[in-house]
Amino acid sequence: MATEEESTVKEPLDLIRLSLDERIYVKLRSDRELRGKLHAYDQHLNMILGDVEEVVTAVEIDDETYEEIVRTTRRSVPFLFVRGDGVILVSPPLRTA
Amino acid sequence: MSGGGDIGSTNTKTPADFLKSIRGRPVVVKLNSGVDYRGILACLDGYMNIAMEQTEEYVNGQLKNKYGDAFIRGNNVLYISTSKMTLADGA
Amino acid sequence: MANNPSQLLPSELIDRCIGSKIWVIMKGDKELVGTLKGFDVYVNMVLEDVTEYEITAEGRRITKLDQILLNGNNIAILVPGGSPETE
Repeated sequence: MATEEESTVKEPLDLIRLSLDERIYVKLRSDRELRGKLHAYDQHLNMILGDVEEVVTAVEIDDETYEEIVRTTRRSVPFLFVRGDGVILVSPPLRTA
Repeated sequence: MSGGGDIGSTNTKTPADFLKSIRGRPVVVKLNSGVDYRGILACLDGYMNIAMEQTEEYVNGQLKNKYGDAFIRGNNVLYISTSKMTLADGA
Repeated sequence: MANNPSQLLPSELIDRCIGSKIWVIMKGDKELVGTLKGFDVYVNMVLEDVTEYEITAEGRRITKLDQILLNGNNIAILVPGGSPETE
């Protein structure tokens, strides 16, 4: 491994490294989203997040009208561990539209 | 293990060749879930983990989200494409 | 190799497809047809002039792509020569 400047993105995980101690957005499987401060991560994308807001989106079909109802459930978690295999996407959240 | 891809023929392009050739280019990344991400490919690794810039998220062809930078975990990736897509409805 | 009783290794068969059309059937409701440019030990494949077929609730969606790197992880079946429909 060659030595890189700390701020360059040479491999994808550098993007995560540069987000340490920043608030990030994490998209997970089964329509879960997290926003929180990244405290630690590893090569599997296991992560430790603080001050987390979790949003769970569920689409239900109304029994009578067959209309799709989108339900979002929000909750706050002070501190949590995310298992990497559920991660789809990670982004610094402030720039999301 | 037989590494069939590394033959010296002139007209072949192995996955490694492809990965080298697409850095900095506009790409479409399709996930197994069917969601598409379009943006500029910053870099990627052997797991197909991808870092993208100016990323747009499309669900069923509709723009759902934009991300300045995005990291996509490689196990979700179905394909990485260099093309502009053209859509057509089948039978 | 000396102990392998078959005439042709699976990877040799795919190797012979380089430069020709190949039909890729994925696990789940997806198929692709394209010209095989190369592949690796995981059977990740570089394909050119690709047509992707997705079976969705609304019917079949067709996507045309110039060049792709297809993840080998979800490939189920490879058919040399392309699909019957594209000939």
